[in-house]
Amino acid sequence: MTDIFVAPKQDKSGTLFSQNIFSREGNNGPALKAKEKNFKKILDKKQTVKNSSLYEEPHMNILSSFSQYPKNVSFHTQKENEQIILFLRSRFITNISWMTFTIFLIFLPAIITFLLPLFQINFLSSDIVTHFTTIYVIFYYLIVFSYILINFLTWFYNIFIVTADRIVDINYLDIVVHNVSETKLKQIEDVRYSQSGFIPTLFNYGNLFVQTAGTEENFEANCIPKPKEATDIIAGILGENG
Amino acid sequence: MNFNFFQPVLLIKIITLIVIGFYMVFAFVISTQIKAMENIINLPHASSVFKTAAIFNIVLAISLFILAVVIL
Repeated sequence: MTDIFVAPKQDKSGTLFSQNIFSREGNNGPALKAKEKNFKKILDKKQTVKNSSLYEEPHMNILSSFSQYPKNVSFHTQKENEQIILFLRSRFITNISWMTFTIFLIFLPAIITFLLPLFQINFLSSDIVTHFTTIYVIFYYLIVFSYILINFLTWFYNIFIVTADRIVDINYLDIVVHNVSETKLKQIEDVRYSQSGFIPTLFNYGNLFVQTAGTEENFEANCIPKPKEATDIIAGILGENG
Repeated sequence: MNFNFFQPVLLIKIITLIVIGFYMVFAFVISTQIKAMENIINLPHASSVFKTAAIFNIVLAISLFILAVVIL
């Protein structure tokens, strides 16, 4: 005869009823009571965050700039039970300057080819010059491709992560320079944001500043979307941690 | 053989090949940096897209170098 497995009951949010788990084990030892207390505390904390108006279901695509409880995101020093609460990077609209310049670069050879006959320059007269020009044009577009890739990577890998324990700031400054810094939440003294200018106000992005105690490095996330909400979330976590 | 014409062309060809060679190294650096960033943070869909872009860049750079050797 096959065994029948009865799954523990779940509430609407998907969390297990802690009473069932601990009642089966037998509530005798002080260690078990302490364990139960910790477990309930974690459940309460989860429930508080989920019930808050700021909670959003995790949805994240490759271009996401603001995500709460993102799925499938992890970083190299992440602990086993450490959950990412907030994932931030600059708003995508901030890439508009290099994108515009890229469009100009893409059409530049065509513009030059169009303008040269106006100045009666015919430099493609011999085969050797044609060969060199072919190589240089291909090389030029390779450099444009690298320019796009580097700028996109610079935007993509400048990430600000908030977990229940700490803040992790990943800075991808250049193609050969990257910097990863983190601080415990208990080291944080102040969280504030600034939003100034027409474009940041229009697209609702700004800078987030996290001031840490003593000689610890301060953290800054530039041009992040919804800076007020991000500040509220971090302040909320700090409040919960006491 | 027009010796006066040949010398500058050879020089430009060598310089062109050196510059493209540097670009090949640069393409490898981009690829290495992408791998390093993937080790630091794991993001959905990012790995495959960036790896493909980096390999595409390296292949194009090598192809251009070979093309330059052949036609210049």
